[in-house]
Amino acid sequence: MAAGFKTVEPLEYYRRFLKENCRPDGRELGEFRTTTINIGSITTADGSALVKLGNTTVICGVKAEFAAPPVDSLNKGYIVPNVDLPPLCSSRFRSGPPGEEAQVASQFIADVIENSQIIQKEDLCISHGKLAWVLYCDLICLDYDGNILDACTFALLAALKNVQLPAVTINEETGLAEVNFKKKSHLNIRTHPIATSFAIFDDTLLIVDPTGEEEHLATGTLTVVMDEEGKLCCLHKPGGSGLTGAKLQDCMSRAVTRHKEINKLMDEVIESVKPK
Amino acid sequence: MPGDHRRIRGPEESQPPSLYALPGQEDDDDEGAAGARDPARLRPVYARAGLLSQAKGSAYLEAGRTKVLCAVSGPRPAEGERAGAAAAGAGGRLVCDFRRAPFSGPRRRRPGGAGAGGGTEERELALAMQEALEPAVRLGRYPRAQLEVSALLLEDGGSALAAALTAASLALADAGVEMYDVVVGCALSRGAGPDAAWLLDPTRREEERAAAGITVALLPVLNQVAGLLGSGEAGEAESWAAAVRLGLEGCQRLYPVLQQCLLRAARRRGEAAGPGPTPAAAAARTPSEADAAAAAAAAAAAGADAVARDPPEDSEA
Repeated sequence: MAAGFKTVEPLEYYRRFLKENCRPDGRELGEFRTTTINIGSITTADGSALVKLGNTTVICGVKAEFAAPPVDSLNKGYIVPNVDLPPLCSSRFRSGPPGEEAQVASQFIADVIENSQIIQKEDLCISHGKLAWVLYCDLICLDYDGNILDACTFALLAALKNVQLPAVTINEETGLAEVNFKKKSHLNIRTHPIATSFAIFDDTLLIVDPTGEEEHLATGTLTVVMDEEGKLCCLHKPGGSGLTGAKLQDCMSRAVTRHKEINKLMDEVIESVKPK
Repeated sequence: MPGDHRRIRGPEESQPPSLYALPGQEDDDDEGAAGARDPARLRPVYARAGLLSQAKGSAYLEAGRTKVLCAVSGPRPAEGERAGAAAAGAGGRLVCDFRRAPFSGPRRRRPGGAGAGGGTEERELALAMQEALEPAVRLGRYPRAQLEVSALLLEDGGSALAAALTAASLALADAGVEMYDVVVGCALSRGAGPDAAWLLDPTRREEERAAAGITVALLPVLNQVAGLLGSGEAGEAESWAAAVRLGLEGCQRLYPVLQQCLLRAARRRGEAAGPGPTPAAAAARTPSEADAAAAAAAAAAAGADAVARDPPEDSEA
């Protein structure tokens, strides 16, 4: 009977729950789904991470290659993110070139990398003007159940922390690079940007970590990216209903709390993976 | 990439560091030493079905380092040329898609298949998958409909097509698609030289060094070959026949693992769905909170003894 009502009037069904300050899956309005993370599972990638936020699953694989530095900044490397939403994650996506949602997510990740300075691009330079690292960060969504941006940012951060680059020297006589795979070092990760997404219902109510259905029924969404010093890296609000300044402040404080939880989780995981 | 405005731009060209490796450094030890392996050994397989929430059916298969995920959606109304023109007896269509993650191999593959190699090879494998799965699926029961099977290779540790085939048939079974039998895939490869033996379930290193390779797909219970894809140089026909026999034997050995996987997935689905329509089933399983209302309704409709058997769960949610 409840299932019938849900199909016919999904919005009313949701409103009944929101009136009681809870959601159909039993969560509070400010509660996140269970977050699990698994790092280093893809051995062909230089760094990898799999993040599950409830049902939403995103895998990030980082591959490092050599390239000539860009002409306008000879001492910088590249970080190239790419978010892929294949048909297997949800029936609404078709195979082919990236659709709108994938492009928006890719651009969002690129903005987060740029604004938070998670890695100084100068660190990726091997030889000024001649050789630099390119980090291709490929994020693939395996299961789309809402809140893709949070999962992608977290997967990217975890994968970058997992990356190990071999030592490279430039041979003086031949001018070619020489790569020593036995000596590997981690990347210098300067900040930990963590994203927190909210959905806006009926122009007033804010819920955290929306599922796919909630995103569909929401009148707007908001994503806040914070780093560990409580500094705002990025704010993504693509249209939708307006928000008062006070509500925005609430969101940011919630994001700060979330940051602490995720940071702790990630430290535990990285500690557990370290070779004893 | 010059014309691709839909992705973030990177450098025009990039090379993998393995090209510049110092001499004497074999990049990454692969599982097992180069020589001395049992030619008929199968790597231990981990299979799990029913793990994606958004797909109708899904399966994940891991064999050694090969990791493949497959999802099935549909049946959906067939689109394209077949939609209107197809006669009523034409049956359904199976659309397969095979893609490799950019980080699945030693070199990064540019997404989008813009490079001719990546695009055509994936299409060839997708076609091979479709040809192997069609004999197993009762397409006649889905007229004018199409079933979409998408396989994603997360890491290529050898025998990728075989793993994808197996995962695809598990996903189809998990989706409840009517099938005659499960399809099990197995790959073999043979090194160069007249004395080389056929190796079952090759790793990526063995496949790279191979002069010939073959993938067989078998319907284990019916004992019929569903698909065969091979190429290379391996001497006379008898050698190929021996390879096929070895492959089929490998498939038969793999079958019990897949049976267990599907049974476990069915049990998990049963537990998640809560009590069935019959009162006996309702009494046997504890209804979840969300289904307490449904359980109460079913119990009331079924009769007094059902209510007597599960009194505590009958209270309101």
